[in-house]
Amino acid sequence: MTQISLRGLHKFFGSTHVVRDLNLDIEDKEFLVLLGPSGCGKTTTMRMVAGLEKATYGEICFDGRRINEVPTQQRDVAMVFQNYGLYPHMTVAENIAYPLKLRGFNASQREAGVLKAAERVDLGPYLHRLPRELSGGQRQRVALARSIVRKPKVFLMDEPLSNLDAKLRVAMRAEIKHLAYELQVTTIYVTHDQVEAMTLANRVAIMKDGVIMQLASPEEIYSDPVNLYVAGFIGSPAMNLIDVVAHSDFVETANGLRIPVTAPRQGPTTMGLRAEDMQLTSETDAAFSAEVYAFELLGDSTMITFKFGAQSVAVKGEKNIRLKFGDQVGVRFDSSNLYWFDNNSGERIRETLSR
Amino acid sequence: MTFASHHSHGQALIPGHIDTAADHFRLWWSQMMVFTGICIILLPIAWLFLTAFKLPRDVYSLQTAFNFTPTFENLQTIFEHPWNLGNKILNSFAVAGGTVLIAIPMATMAAYAFSRFEFRFKKTIFLLVIASQFIPAAVIVLPYFLMFKQLDMLDTRSALVLINMSIVLPYAVWMMKGFIDAVPLEIEESAMVDGAHRIRVIWEIVVPAALPGIITAAVFSFTLTWNEFLFALIIGKQDALTLPIGLIGFRTERGDLWELMAAGGILITAPMFLISLLVQKQFIQSLTAGSVR
Repeated sequence: MTQISLRGLHKFFGSTHVVRDLNLDIEDKEFLVLLGPSGCGKTTTMRMVAGLEKATYGEICFDGRRINEVPTQQRDVAMVFQNYGLYPHMTVAENIAYPLKLRGFNASQREAGVLKAAERVDLGPYLHRLPRELSGGQRQRVALARSIVRKPKVFLMDEPLSNLDAKLRVAMRAEIKHLAYELQVTTIYVTHDQVEAMTLANRVAIMKDGVIMQLASPEEIYSDPVNLYVAGFIGSPAMNLIDVVAHSDFVETANGLRIPVTAPRQGPTTMGLRAEDMQLTSETDAAFSAEVYAFELLGDSTMITFKFGAQSVAVKGEKNIRLKFGDQVGVRFDSSNLYWFDNNSGERIRETLSR
Repeated sequence: MTFASHHSHGQALIPGHIDTAADHFRLWWSQMMVFTGICIILLPIAWLFLTAFKLPRDVYSLQTAFNFTPTFENLQTIFEHPWNLGNKILNSFAVAGGTVLIAIPMATMAAYAFSRFEFRFKKTIFLLVIASQFIPAAVIVLPYFLMFKQLDMLDTRSALVLINMSIVLPYAVWMMKGFIDAVPLEIEESAMVDGAHRIRVIWEIVVPAALPGIITAAVFSFTLTWNEFLFALIIGKQDALTLPIGLIGFRTERGDLWELMAAGGILITAPMFLISLLVQKQFIQSLTAGSVR
């Protein structure tokens, strides 16, 4: 039962300003993902919550109580580290039991706790091995088991899946989601992978240069990005962002292609359009037609890429479409799926003109 | 990766990869080199070992180099008056053991601090610790003598332990800092999040993870102290004499008593042999630390 508040949080490493005036309220039992590229301050923010890093300015509160001065050991958080942080000289069972040992549980209580936690993550047969005798995925599960062997106030996960191969990552992602549902503990999860963020989070905080760009549910972040940065970060592929010059009833791309849509303002702007919001069509009712630059089979769909000058535009197509390089095809889309951004500030332009 | 595979002719050194006459020659050559090396190292030790079981008349004769009637008399004589190597062994063990027992925990703490904490003048202090080793022992032996004389500690084992600690600590700190640097910070943070306080983190996480290195440093310190000669000679007089000092007693007005000196030599080397047998595994682990991850 823990609600976390970060108020006016700043972190300097020497003269480097890594976290800038961060304000964030995390609800009890919420699964919050801090998402951003490396160096955006997301891990530092989490480490400040864990107490491994001191906040330069600002306040960290658990349930309204300031904990800046509470040492890590007494914060009662559990953390899964990127490289798992397993104790190399202890067996799997000893690793999992360590938090219980520190809390003065006796041997039989520890054993019961270890068995229960190990069973939850399918580690039963490996309890007597050393970490070095395990695969990456198994080590990951030991780290998870160690964090769930007690019920902490807060779970912290620092890119826990980034060292796993793609297939295992998808499987473990589902495991973590299920665990979070089962345990009902407030969780902060740090990642640079937007798919992880979208699939796991109740809310996502997208960070850049120590500042939260947008804090919202995954749906909202996908469907209503506040700026170019968020729009370009979320989605696979990310939203197509096309620099255009807007005229009264059409926009013109860098390579001179004219698309008949009405922009909310005239002059240079950036037009955003998701690959899945466009369809291939005959050239007669197309919004624009262009030459195929690349065609890829994805199995459940196809990906068609066009080039507008230096910018590429990706369109998601039906799985049975087959095209060749250089084919001329038409593309249509519903203008309600368009996003407009100020190409200087990167901010979203929201007011739409009625036709 | 093994050493052999870094070597340009490495393939030939691996059994089962011998293809050409040149490979045969290389293998033969490398075996010869190893054999020569072993001879150079082991021959004096073998000589010492043989001499210890000879009668005085057999010691100087080449005819009886290997062909003599062994005697255990020497090994008895050295424990009798006036040699009394028995209590010198005790002193040596007390001094070397005491030094290691005090120096290693201290060095572990110091090395941990140098490795993990940021404090003012850290680099300078570390450099000073190392630099203290550049002072020749002969320069400080007199000040030490006068100091311990004033403290009324001449001819005591504690004086020798103190001096040996000043010799051993800088080495041990320097060695152990390297081993502690190699322990990932993440496992310490992990233990702190799990609820362990700093001392427990050091004792239950860092020390076990750096154990091969700590054992190496301990063995190294023990050897250094065990063989220490100059200070033991100056400080010791009668009660606190150590084995190396006991050995010079065999240079008498009747000449050098080689057979007794060799018997004493066995006493000095035996513990080293035993220790190296016991810690060989840790020693190799610490030497290859980092290469196998």
